[in-house]
Amino acid sequence: MSETKQQQQDLGPREKFILSANKGKILASKCLKCGHAMLETVYFCDKCFGSKFESVEFEGIGKIVTYTIQAVVPEGFEDTESYAWAIFKIDNAPFRASGFLSGITSPKDLPIGTKVKVAGFDPKHGLLLQKL
Amino acid sequence: MTNKVCVLGAGSTKYGKLNESIIEIALNAAKDAIDSAGITPRDIQAGYISNVFGVTDKQVHIAPVIMSNLGIPYVPGLTIESACGSGSVMFREAYANIAAGFYDCVLGLGVEKITHTGTVESTTLFSYCSDFFYEGGNGASFPGLFASIARAYMSTYKANEEDLAHVAVKNHENGILNPKAHVRKKITIEDVLKSPVVASPLKLYDCCPFSDGASAVILCNEGFAKKSGRPYMEIIGSGRGASPAAVQAREDITTIPSTEAAAKQAYNMAEITPKDIDFAEVHDCFTIAEIIDIEDLGFFPKGTAAQAVREGATRRNGEIPINPSGGLKSKGHPIGATGIGQIVEVFEQFTGKAGERKVKDAEIALTHNFGATGASAAVHIFRKVE
Repeated sequence: MSETKQQQQDLGPREKFILSANKGKILASKCLKCGHAMLETVYFCDKCFGSKFESVEFEGIGKIVTYTIQAVVPEGFEDTESYAWAIFKIDNAPFRASGFLSGITSPKDLPIGTKVKVAGFDPKHGLLLQKL
Repeated sequence: MTNKVCVLGAGSTKYGKLNESIIEIALNAAKDAIDSAGITPRDIQAGYISNVFGVTDKQVHIAPVIMSNLGIPYVPGLTIESACGSGSVMFREAYANIAAGFYDCVLGLGVEKITHTGTVESTTLFSYCSDFFYEGGNGASFPGLFASIARAYMSTYKANEEDLAHVAVKNHENGILNPKAHVRKKITIEDVLKSPVVASPLKLYDCCPFSDGASAVILCNEGFAKKSGRPYMEIIGSGRGASPAAVQAREDITTIPSTEAAAKQAYNMAEITPKDIDFAEVHDCFTIAEIIDIEDLGFFPKGTAAQAVREGATRRNGEIPINPSGGLKSKGHPIGATGIGQIVEVFEQFTGKAGERKVKDAEIALTHNFGATGASAAVHIFRKVE
């Protein structure tokens, strides 16, 4: 096994999630017993309690379900321009995810249903989204 | 067969910006509750303490410190944290231990001190109560999470920002009558709509304040309460519920599953329905939360609460008075104390201490309090004992 592949195998679930996000993908866990796919780091399936999973990557493309634009932001976000924190439904996955969408100043910039894509993972701002 | 459990005494500090240390704030409420029950610390067999951010006032492991300062250092104390729902979740544990017969009489005390931290620090600390990797870590504040819920609600049901404002106006109307409330100020719909945006679509007056404060109750078994010869109330229903920690993971973003589950258990245990409740203290950290709570608690069908609030059904003289204390919105939200503060309000209502905010002829009341965006919740139902 190559050194890079070994290093990737040694990563924790969240580090792997970040690696996928940087490729524009959303990494999920798929239960080997019932096939249910979940976003969270899981050790037991919430449908059948199976404990064996495979990692599956979904294309990080989806539609905005809801969001907010905040005037008061948590630490680490004060230096950003106006942004939306948004929940989006991933097109081909049975779950939603949420992320940071910069450059949104008013609700008219982001009607519900707007198409977005995963644009990477920033250590300070988390999962980055971009309007399509 | 479990023992009947009663609340024999209750006390609260004022909620707001307090100068005392977290321990002094806690002790003031404890003393009021002990005096109100007509007992001494010698009668207390255990202490249940709820608190979230003690570390900001340089105190964790707060329960033994409080017990020592009450003169009972050899009586066991337990600190419980469940974000904004800490108080009610702690009350449930105190209740369960008396019901199971482990103790005859215990102290349940919630306390918080947070206003000494700045707005950015408080906002950050509160965001740690979310499922941080998926929510706070992507830039969501607590107002932001509830704002997202509000936007989802308003795009699903017939409700608008003015409907949310009606919740704030009603709760301030009640809070003005509460001498211990944090924000005692009459506001209008226009004030709410014109207040600065905190997290769209929520504005400043849609949000509860950060508060300091403590509330305490004395819980005991029925024999102990009867022997005291003092007024008390019986806990006739108790329920706990849970929801996926992240809002995005919930099947329906406009419902809080933990509330529904806790309410169902409490109603079943009390063998009553929502129609039997004379008033309720519910978790209105944001105006949208109260709208969703009163649907999840079964007072109004899904999607109709905004209209009911607009028509005055939740006012003190309405069909089901909600938050006669002023709620988190006006009374304030010292998060470790809030769930107990709601029970203090019920005790004051039932024992003739609610003054002008008294709900007429109330005999059965419900309290509802949740943690974070509803990942944890507890509901309790009380009956006045003459």
